[in-house]
Amino acid sequence: MTLIALTLRRHRVALGSWWVLLVALSGVTVPSYRATYPTAAQRLVAADLARRNVAGTLLYGRLGGGGTSAELFAWEVGAIVTVLAAVAAVLLAVALTRAAEDDGTVEVIRSNGVSARAPLYAALAVLAMFATACGAGCAAVVGMHAGRVDGVTAAGAVTFGATVGLTFLVVAVLAVLLAQVVPAAGAARLLGLGAVGIAFAVRAVADVRHVDGLNRFSPLGLRAVARPFDGDRWGMLGAYLAVAFAVAGAAVFLHGRRDFRGGLLRQRDRRAAHLRIRSTVGLAGRLARGGIVAWTLAVAAVGTLFSAMGSGVLEQSRGGDVGGFLGAQLGADPVAGYFAYTATVLGVLVSAFAVLSVARTAAEELSGRTDHVLATGVRRWAPLAARVVVTAAGAAAVLLVAGLLSGFVAARVIDGADVAARAFGYVVGQWPAVLVAAGWTALLAGWRPRFTWLAWVPLVLSAGLALLGQLLGVPERVRDLGTFHHVPDLLGDHPHLGGQAVLLAVAAGTTLAGLVAVTRRDVTTG
Amino acid sequence: MPAEHAVAVTGLVKRFGRFRAVDGLDLNVRVGEIHGFLGPNGAGKSTTLRVLLGLYRATAGRVRVLGLDPGTGAAAVTRRVSYVPGEVNLWPNLTGREVLDALAGLRGRRDPAAERGLVDDFALDVRKAVRTYSKGNRQKVLLVAAFAAPTELLVLDEPTSGLDPLMEDVFQRHVRAAADAGRTVLLSSHLLAEAEKLCHSVTIIKDGRLVESGGLTYLRHLSASEVTARVPADLVPAVAERLAAVGVAPPPSDGGTLRFSVRRERVPAVLGILATVDAADITCTPATLEQLFMRHYSVVPA
Repeated sequence: MTLIALTLRRHRVALGSWWVLLVALSGVTVPSYRATYPTAAQRLVAADLARRNVAGTLLYGRLGGGGTSAELFAWEVGAIVTVLAAVAAVLLAVALTRAAEDDGTVEVIRSNGVSARAPLYAALAVLAMFATACGAGCAAVVGMHAGRVDGVTAAGAVTFGATVGLTFLVVAVLAVLLAQVVPAAGAARLLGLGAVGIAFAVRAVADVRHVDGLNRFSPLGLRAVARPFDGDRWGMLGAYLAVAFAVAGAAVFLHGRRDFRGGLLRQRDRRAAHLRIRSTVGLAGRLARGGIVAWTLAVAAVGTLFSAMGSGVLEQSRGGDVGGFLGAQLGADPVAGYFAYTATVLGVLVSAFAVLSVARTAAEELSGRTDHVLATGVRRWAPLAARVVVTAAGAAAVLLVAGLLSGFVAARVIDGADVAARAFGYVVGQWPAVLVAAGWTALLAGWRPRFTWLAWVPLVLSAGLALLGQLLGVPERVRDLGTFHHVPDLLGDHPHLGGQAVLLAVAAGTTLAGLVAVTRRDVTTG
Repeated sequence: MPAEHAVAVTGLVKRFGRFRAVDGLDLNVRVGEIHGFLGPNGAGKSTTLRVLLGLYRATAGRVRVLGLDPGTGAAAVTRRVSYVPGEVNLWPNLTGREVLDALAGLRGRRDPAAERGLVDDFALDVRKAVRTYSKGNRQKVLLVAAFAAPTELLVLDEPTSGLDPLMEDVFQRHVRAAADAGRTVLLSSHLLAEAEKLCHSVTIIKDGRLVESGGLTYLRHLSASEVTARVPADLVPAVAERLAAVGVAPPPSDGGTLRFSVRRERVPAVLGILATVDAADITCTPATLEQLFMRHYSVVPA
């Protein structure tokens, strides 16, 4: 019990932040479907549009049922919340198990008369507690609207909450299992997020290609199987709970078969390589190399998936008569609309890379490694500047590869004018937005390295405005404050480059401010 | 004009919020000497060293390192300085060699032969990833980088806390070699035996203030010497009386063996008294650094 309390105490900020994000996102968005589409007729048109929109089908799955506000909510917000829950599950599970082992705290605990398995049991218990709290929280905030928003029922809210909680739990125990196989936290995180990516791809294929049975095998397809507010099928939820227990058992078993700080897979720790660098940019590039490769693969895979899946329903929505005020949602040109939408998702992903990458400067400084660099006669602002340069170049590489692959695939599967160029243009056009994320992270890292985590706040807000802004009825003027939808249709009649220029200026300004700030303060350690 | 002092600090104050980590400290290190920087944990040693490197900015006071002000031109200072911090965190996914390559590459100047010799001397396997290194091995990486770099001043902050006695020996040899080559060494430590063996002069601080500073031999002489002697048991009371006459506190007698400390200027008189009673096994040792140190810190909780 003490060990559980200790684990909760140590990770309370991360646990609390994720809980608030997941529950608040669910609670805030429930009534907005009703506010955006006040009449049943409008909702029906919206639902109809949603079924025809391949970008929506790909990202959120298929919309079933009769098109009530509750169903729209469970379909769109539900998809976002479950993906976030899965990402949270990987990050928290690794932080509670493998990262604690790497930083030596598990060693301290185990040397105090605690059994070898106790820290793992405590971590699993905390993850289960978080899953329960998350499910209960989501069910409560959604259930509050029962009777006020059409389609929302108590039973549906419970199904929704249970879906979120179980998605979290299954992915979390899976991440714990993977953390037993590899010998370091970074690799465990990478494998876990890779598994989430595969789960997403399986769900996307199931929904776009109408292979419904496939959804049962993806934690992210659980929502489509459980169908909150649309039948509330509980059978699969029970099955998933059983799977979670089985996977946890397997993790405990593997944990017993490996050494402390070891893994079932061995890491190659010996090499005779030399490192030829002459500047901080060289060092930052070497340290960022692995991450950039991994992000390139991941983002290119997602971009290719978007392009490959884009054919069928695009034809539909182009031929279908989607009229009224909703017709504008896909834009005048459905092809441009589709690529603008999917590229926004890539932009959010690559911005997350930028925040993580620049934030590493702060971690370097707090761990004392920046001291070694500065002690070689390097200027105070150089490590941060080098990191921003490497991040900008890395983001450009990620977007270029993703854009080229998207364009290549799109040209083969989608008909239309300049499809390849558009697919490429929209993806690469997200670069200035990514630079802005790097810029504000550099500002925080330069000003106060301990507050670098705040860089996630504008990213979450911006992503929210881009993906949910229209739905929540946010005025255009406010939505334009977000960073992601300023990409011009370069092949359109009048491409507006002003937004891009503003983004570049903001990125440059915040980066410079960060560099100035760093020269005006002491190095921070510990 | 070459400065006579590699490090010249007067009236240094470093505040963190309301806490004064360093409070009016003077520190002078002559070019070419090995200078011990001593004090208990939390005395402000590391803070002072980080000010010297420009990692912290001084709240007040004048700081010159190699004639330059690290507060305004840290890079110009650190280009000519090697630094080994007490706590060594390195990039876990790089190998020892890659770390050495990186640090030398950033500095832009390197002595590969010296580096190879140091790697051999410290018996460091540079092909292994830093992740697999013990604390001592991580320290060795930075010690190799520090000694091998063509710098004028070495700032070493408790650099041997993770080294075994064998490696400590290697470390001391290289510190002496650095001084012989004309480099200046500022060595912060709380291992007094190490400082005593190595240092020409020391600065002792407590609570961020200077307690004592000067040449080691000079400081020792300021302090009392330890005298032991064996005296026939029946003569002990008489000897005690005569010692009291020259101002030495009556020593506790231990079956004829006397053990007491004497101010330096009274040593001849005391030895004279002992000689007249045919005392045997007379020893007279100057105070160790440890005794010096303990005199200042014995009862004060750090």
